[in-house]
Amino acid sequence: MAGFSRRQLLKIAAATPFVSGAGLRSALAADEVLKVGVIHQGAISDTGWEYFQAQAWRALEKAYPDKVKVTVLENIAQMQDAERLFRQLSSQGNKLIFGTTFSQYASLKKLAPTLTNSHFECCAGIEAGPNLGVFEARQYEGTYLTGIAAGRMTKSNVLGWVGAFPVPQVIYSLNAFLLGARSVNPAATLKVVWANAWVDPAKEKDAVAALIAQGADVLSGSPNTPVQGLAAEEKGVWSIGSTGDFSTYVKKKQLTFFELDWSSAHIGAAKAVMDGTWKPESRWLGLGPGGYVKMTTNNPELPASVAAEMKAAEEAIIAGKLKPFSGPIKDQAGAERVAASAALPDREIRTITWLVDGVQGTLPKT
Amino acid sequence: MIGQLTQLIIATLVAGTPLVYAALGELVVELAGVLNMGVEGMMVIGAISAFAVTMATGSLTLGVIVAIAAAMVLSLLFAVLAISFRANQVAVGLALTIFGTSLGSYIGKSYVGMALVTAPSPLAGLITKIPLLGQLHPLVWLSWILFGATWYFLYRTKPGLVLRAVGESPASAHAIGYPVIRIRYLATLFGGALAGVAGAYVSLVYTALWTEGLIAGRGWIAVALVVFATWRPERCIAGAYLFGGATMAQLFAQSAGVGLPPELMSALPYIATIIVLALISRNETLMRLSVPASLGKPFNP
Repeated sequence: MAGFSRRQLLKIAAATPFVSGAGLRSALAADEVLKVGVIHQGAISDTGWEYFQAQAWRALEKAYPDKVKVTVLENIAQMQDAERLFRQLSSQGNKLIFGTTFSQYASLKKLAPTLTNSHFECCAGIEAGPNLGVFEARQYEGTYLTGIAAGRMTKSNVLGWVGAFPVPQVIYSLNAFLLGARSVNPAATLKVVWANAWVDPAKEKDAVAALIAQGADVLSGSPNTPVQGLAAEEKGVWSIGSTGDFSTYVKKKQLTFFELDWSSAHIGAAKAVMDGTWKPESRWLGLGPGGYVKMTTNNPELPASVAAEMKAAEEAIIAGKLKPFSGPIKDQAGAERVAASAALPDREIRTITWLVDGVQGTLPKT
Repeated sequence: MIGQLTQLIIATLVAGTPLVYAALGELVVELAGVLNMGVEGMMVIGAISAFAVTMATGSLTLGVIVAIAAAMVLSLLFAVLAISFRANQVAVGLALTIFGTSLGSYIGKSYVGMALVTAPSPLAGLITKIPLLGQLHPLVWLSWILFGATWYFLYRTKPGLVLRAVGESPASAHAIGYPVIRIRYLATLFGGALAGVAGAYVSLVYTALWTEGLIAGRGWIAVALVVFATWRPERCIAGAYLFGGATMAQLFAQSAGVGLPPELMSALPYIATIIVLALISRNETLMRLSVPASLGKPFNP
């Protein structure tokens, strides 16, 4: 480094796009190391969203120990900072760059077409764009299965959901949760409370208390911290850790949970870049091999019959025989949204803005 | 219904307690004529240091003590800059909040998302025998004792009178021989200590976990409460519970299926607190009388 002046460095930086632009889609040489950059919007903690994002690049490092070098930046909350760092990662020669949240998707959509010496992938995004692939999990397949467990275990027939923000990902997850519960227990209802924050443990805890006070005895949501499960356990109520295992903290009353496994997305993208076959794609995968949703261990107190029911439903979903959003489905107002013999098309699931019949709670009117 | 109401009341007391501590501390600071806007920063430092210590030792008491010490160090920094060097109090307070919040994130990096599994404190055994309120944490009880003690100190003792005199007219207090600077230092340290307890309460009792943004503006609410409460301790505590109560009520209303947009519901506690406290303080003359006359003004003996 010592021999370079600032001016020389600038020259090199300016020339880089033209040099590498020529060989953009060509495969990497056999001995070339693929530089991968990842920007986490939040901090990588013990569990929750960013943790699973981190597990994916860790899996990538493991899959190609000598061929991949991953640079990770975490806790980049401000989008202006993230944009600057995405540019920086690109100019530092990272050929593959991952974004981890929906907020970054908006920035990447703008940046990716201009930074053509890198390939971009973002987790959670609406559709692929020029030079930007997206991958997202069919979380509703997981919540449909945890819903079955909830529907069987509830005594009050009241389930509770602590929602972060009323975005489609959360809405389809909670809808499927109740549909799963109602598939085994038609009397089940679901109460929803919105925390209006991705992480606000104090409020999430209060929300759990409010739900329990109103009779909910199985709780779920999309927590990023163990606080919801802990609050439920304190009151002797079941909780379901969708998006993560909180059993190190919630020792007794975590009923079941699923994980988000993005490793196939990271490894697949890296392999495609190495082979020179990378294309911007939109992948939306759920259960099954190579999928992003993984069912894991259940609480020992969950009866084997219920676990078997969940397993059967899981297999049916993987085989394509069971679609969680198959009709007839009514919305809260009682209007039929999905006809008896139909299933909600993917496009409508991804943009869903209504709650199914039996959900007690509201969405903001837009 | 009765069950729900008690639940709501208990939850309100739990949610209001950090504000009670922080606002009482800030009240004493402001009555001495010092405006420390760094409550948020001191709470963050209190929260993370308490969490880290309790995580390592398993002792809640030790956690709270360290939180008090850590937040007092921060308030001492404020006192040196704003009282001794007579820097602008608002600017130093804001800097303290930014500093405390960032330092808290830095220290807390390896604790993000972790939760605390603590043994109940020794006091808890005694209190739990009391029906209903027995389920409240000892720190909640302590906040009530502290409120009584603060009120008594301010309005029934000579040192309390001296403290208020220093806030009203430091020149007069100085002229008759009271150590204005020392009293202001002590008041600021007291405010720091209580902000530390408030932070520790949030990370140890309220959520029992650490994550960034844990304090989520509660320090600012405390500063605002003191102003709206027209510098009266009983109004501070009422305002704190009003805020906690409105927060809880909106969550209860949501889960009961009240058809208001959740965003509006989330804003409700702030709106309710502002309206009620603005009504209380609508009398302008009274308001002007209750402001410590030298609030925010540096004193040069």
